[in-house]
Amino acid sequence: MNMKRGIVALLVSAIVLATTAFWFFGMEKSVNPHEIVSFGIIVVLVGFGIWFAVRRFSSAHSGEPQEDELSKKIVQKTAAWSYYISLYMWVFMLWLKDRVEMDTEEVLGAGILSMAVIFMLCFIFHRLRGVRNE
Amino acid sequence: MNNRIREYRARLDLTQEDLARKVNVRRETIVFLEKNKYNPSLRLAHDIAVVFGVPIEEVFVFEND
Repeated sequence: MNMKRGIVALLVSAIVLATTAFWFFGMEKSVNPHEIVSFGIIVVLVGFGIWFAVRRFSSAHSGEPQEDELSKKIVQKTAAWSYYISLYMWVFMLWLKDRVEMDTEEVLGAGILSMAVIFMLCFIFHRLRGVRNE
Repeated sequence: MNNRIREYRARLDLTQEDLARKVNVRRETIVFLEKNKYNPSLRLAHDIAVVFGVPIEEVFVFEND
């Protein structure tokens, strides 16, 4: 059973969760609402990563291929869409930076987090809608 | 493009899992195909038709036809 991708997804999720926990619980000052929202989004993304890994493990366990032409097409479409949408998101972030007081680190952090959310939403959208030749 | 996979699968008394295993895809792919949410590659369409023992055009029907 080749479970390499499932293990990688689980490992990345664990690392992200661990570093987020260190950041969140190691803060000396009081937690502001913006940080709580960031923490919540990261938890959702980690949940998505764990769900992805569990699906791979259960596929491997039942003897079916972990990847086939449909799953590859869904990932390809998701990558293409999320890249395209992320470009607009970064333009929006630059526009926002001129109007709202934000550090460069905050802009980058919010941008990276938004990219991950966009990828997750695109993936869910394509899984629900399916892949047809338009 | 529509297909008659569910109909042929029922005739041969195959489950979605059985068919998926025979054509080497995930069961989820068969579910998507039966719901017309996915147009398969020519290779997969051919493999499915071979399992059912009929020509491809019997299983996969273009809407313009």
